[in-house]
Amino acid sequence: MKLTRNWLQNYVDIEGISTSELADHLTMLGLEVDSVENLYQDLSDLKTGHIVTAKPHPDADKLQVCEVQIGEELHQIVCGAPNARAGLNVVVALPGITLPGNFKIKKSKVRGIESAGMICSERELGLSEDHTGIMELPDDVQHGQSFIEVMGLADTMIEVDLTPNRPDCASVIGIAREIAGITGRELMVPVKDREVANTSKKFQIDIESPELCPRYAARLIEGVKIGPSPWWLRRQLKAIGLRPINNVVDVTNYVMMEYGQPLHAFDFDTLAGGKIVVRVPRAGEDTFITLDAVDRKIDNETLLICDGEKPVALAGVMGGMNSEVTPQTVNVLLESACFNSVSIRRTARKVNLATDASYRFERGVDPGGTINAMDRAVQLLVEIAGGTAEDAGADCFGGRRPMNSLELKISRTAQLIGIELGYDRIAELLQSIGFICKPKDEDTMWVLCPTFRVDIDREADLVEEVARLYGYNNIPTTLPGADLSYPEQDTRRFKRADATRMLLAIGFSEAINYSFASAKHVDMLRLDADDTRRQFVHLLNPLSEDQAVMRTMLLPGLLENVKRNISFQKTAVKLFEVGKVFRPLEENSQPLETSHLAGVLCGSRHGEASPLYFKAEGVDILDAKGAVEYLLEEMRLTENSTAPIKFVHPVEEGVEKFCDSDYSLLVFAGDTLLGMIGKVLPDVLRSFGIKHDVYYFELNFDNICELQAAPRSFSSLPVYPSVKRDIALVVPVTVSAGELLAKVHESREKLIESAEIFDVFQGGKIEKGYKSVAVSITYRSATKTLTEKNVEKAHTKVVKLLTDTFGGSLRDA
Amino acid sequence: MEQELHSLAAEAKAHLESLTDPGKLEDFRIRYLGRKGQFSTIMRQLGTVPSEDRPRVGQLANTMKAELEALFEEKRSALLSSAPSGKDLTRPDLTLPGRRPQTGRLHPVTRVMNEACAIFENLGFSVAEGPDVEHDYYNFEALNIPAHHPARDMHDTFYVSESILLRTHTSPMQARIMETQQPPLRVIAPGKVYRCDSDITHTPMFHQLEGFLVDKKVSFADLKGVLSVFTEKMFGKKLDLRFRPSFFPFTEPSAEVDIACVMCGGKGCRVCKKTGWLEILGSGMIDPEVFKMVGYDPDVYSGFAFGLGIERIAMLKYGIDDIRLFYENDLRFLSQF
Repeated sequence: MKLTRNWLQNYVDIEGISTSELADHLTMLGLEVDSVENLYQDLSDLKTGHIVTAKPHPDADKLQVCEVQIGEELHQIVCGAPNARAGLNVVVALPGITLPGNFKIKKSKVRGIESAGMICSERELGLSEDHTGIMELPDDVQHGQSFIEVMGLADTMIEVDLTPNRPDCASVIGIAREIAGITGRELMVPVKDREVANTSKKFQIDIESPELCPRYAARLIEGVKIGPSPWWLRRQLKAIGLRPINNVVDVTNYVMMEYGQPLHAFDFDTLAGGKIVVRVPRAGEDTFITLDAVDRKIDNETLLICDGEKPVALAGVMGGMNSEVTPQTVNVLLESACFNSVSIRRTARKVNLATDASYRFERGVDPGGTINAMDRAVQLLVEIAGGTAEDAGADCFGGRRPMNSLELKISRTAQLIGIELGYDRIAELLQSIGFICKPKDEDTMWVLCPTFRVDIDREADLVEEVARLYGYNNIPTTLPGADLSYPEQDTRRFKRADATRMLLAIGFSEAINYSFASAKHVDMLRLDADDTRRQFVHLLNPLSEDQAVMRTMLLPGLLENVKRNISFQKTAVKLFEVGKVFRPLEENSQPLETSHLAGVLCGSRHGEASPLYFKAEGVDILDAKGAVEYLLEEMRLTENSTAPIKFVHPVEEGVEKFCDSDYSLLVFAGDTLLGMIGKVLPDVLRSFGIKHDVYYFELNFDNICELQAAPRSFSSLPVYPSVKRDIALVVPVTVSAGELLAKVHESREKLIESAEIFDVFQGGKIEKGYKSVAVSITYRSATKTLTEKNVEKAHTKVVKLLTDTFGGSLRDA
Repeated sequence: MEQELHSLAAEAKAHLESLTDPGKLEDFRIRYLGRKGQFSTIMRQLGTVPSEDRPRVGQLANTMKAELEALFEEKRSALLSSAPSGKDLTRPDLTLPGRRPQTGRLHPVTRVMNEACAIFENLGFSVAEGPDVEHDYYNFEALNIPAHHPARDMHDTFYVSESILLRTHTSPMQARIMETQQPPLRVIAPGKVYRCDSDITHTPMFHQLEGFLVDKKVSFADLKGVLSVFTEKMFGKKLDLRFRPSFFPFTEPSAEVDIACVMCGGKGCRVCKKTGWLEILGSGMIDPEVFKMVGYDPDVYSGFAFGLGIERIAMLKYGIDDIRLFYENDLRFLSQF
């Protein structure tokens, strides 16, 4: 909602209140000021001038040489306008001035005659499209004055961002009322409340859909002369960004802005049968041409304004081309009505048209203000466009409803706001903006609500009014009393925070991607046709194809992040994300939301660490596996005997189609699949625009959260020393390190405390097809210091078991 | 002899001055200060000085020698410290960078979210999370936003089906929690929210933190108190706060909360659009309709609710000027926090 200071001044005296104070008042009343603009600053240097003489240019037919008086000075200006003539008051741009459109005025010679400036047309000033001649100022204008001051253009525009509950303030008077209330000044309105007799002899109103049209009033003005509006009206409309059209249309727009009541003017002679019918479409009425010349599809719920035969307007949204006011119009039927807000909103949506009228009707127009706005418009029309208004008219009103009367509890109001408040103060506040208060009993008052406050129908609404008028910033600051109950906590949140902390510690940075993604990702990842991750939750109204479905896995988003980082020369990428994936369940029900945890690894293992200390080596699948092992171990999930963690190398079955089958692991806890670890195939990566190797893991975090973490418990520190023995075994390359270790543990040799692989070596002196695997075994007894003999006995047993099982040989140390 | 002493001192000082090679230091010492050096040579002639002058000349000679010795020591340490020798050759260079493990960085949204949650948790709020894909009922109806209400224009909603949508705010959690629990309640609900809007100040997904408190006799003044504590802790200092009347269908009275612009301190700048204020959250007293829908008696209970945008706060805290950066996961961005 835009208004200007000068316009506001018509209804409330704001002299002495600065614009910034005014803006502050409005904002603190909940009418947030979006912007304040001093209008026509680009025209502030222009002066008024008086053409003293105008003589034909000796060398040009269409030019005149004018002598223009501006204050003390006389300027010679060559002018090509046909209406330039002696005695005319004009606007002059002297040399050095820049007009709108970056048009610089300079001293020049026009066909040999000196010209010191320019006499301007309205178009050159950016005031209208009129370029038929120079702008003619009224006769009583003094020359040498500031043009924008003299012509009333100098003004301050204030734009208010209205919340949907305040349609009453979608009007200058509405805003003036609030200012009057807060400053204790008087509100002045242009017309007095009166009734209109529903007795017009010249036209007839028929409301077939009263539930959609609670009130419809109209008056007929005959013999109007259509033409441009007077300067003050055009100026006022332009100041708030409305384009002047003609005197009739301009008056309806002006009064809509003044009162907040949308009005429409019909060319009465186009209305068949001289009647208005308010109804929904009849069979066959499925399109309608609005006055912007667009043929619009309408449905059978669209409320129409019709004449005796056909629709002539989309009620509350826009008039029709067939009945609009044209330069030939002589008789005007002025409509002032009140429509059902939901119906208007539906129509505006349906025809995809948001107008100043629909904005107001959707939010609620004052049913008590219909006549005042109409009377005001009639008054202006007669004044501006001539003609005579029939005194009677039409006012179809389903019965005047009394003012809404609400009870307000005084103690409750004070308690909700948190201040001391009595009847007098509350009444004073509410009455400042048009409420009427009466005491009911000791703690209750009656509050009568003005009809323009369509947003107020409960006690809570009144409490808000009291708080708002009291001033939110005058309300004290307190803290609520303590309630020391300990609420139940969601442990998954803690686990997520733990996992995040762990991944950060081992070099992964956290990524957050959109929950929606492209449906193409699953093709790029070559998922099988029956893969459940192809079942999407689709958005009905996505912003783009790339964000059309809810994601079913986190990897694609992370791959896009990898691509982005590589393209900005960050080739060492370790990212992780904890987020939801979505799977549709039944039609029209919520989908299954599952939390996943995924990570990607690419480039150098040590990231950006100084090459001074860390060898530049690339990550591989074991880095990804290590990250998952670390995570599960730190979450204390690896010692659970009922659901032991297993890393399984899948054969055929279970290999992700986008993974290299040699570099692929499934992670299980018992029989529950937790997720995958793998190396993404180069071809797949290429479709994501990545030329580097990328390893990844993606785990079902909800499944991880379900697992029982091993309790922390203390075991006594060993008293006796341990003994370490190494074995280097040469075994066929097909024997896996995991099998070797498993065998060591299988030996059930009690003295073995731990065993680990410390070297794997191929080539060199090792025969082709074989590898050397070095295992370090730690022996310890809980009851004594081990002797060489004890250790030797156990170790020999283990070595024999290994060589027997794997057919390997002991490599010379 | 006095004359000789003075000229010798001047010569020695000039010589010392010109020395740059630490290897020549010993030569200098022997020549002037040694037992057979020039000072000693002159001193030996002290006997030839008349006896009444002897103490004075002797003292002069001693003073000059002592002065020269001091200068020599100074020079020696200056020259020696600039060249490695002996133990210096094996001393480690501790100006080299430390050997640091590579750790990752927390996303700034998570960082700010964690901070915000911690502040409210310390005030006794519990944390609850809800679904991203919501029922129309919880997102709108239960919050007093019926179909065809202009308030729906405030939410550009992504729909999945007629009645299923991506939640446009975290407020549905108010209804979900109140439906299943009884007051007193003190709950925050962090999470992702979605609106079909995308430009330099809007991303179609962002994060909110919802909070609400329901009990007997909760007042608007309490809301002001809790949010004052929050902004002070979040921005690390007492900031001017402004509670401005606004409209949300599920609160009445409603208030937008502005803080004094953290960029200009309230003087007015580009970030605060010259107003000196920055809007950081929406809040209000829970609307009685919302209570009625979950079966609370609005005459017995009152409560307040608030919702804040995490990205907005992160942008203000860290001076980030483009919200889209949060979702590009560019390490050059992530590594700054």
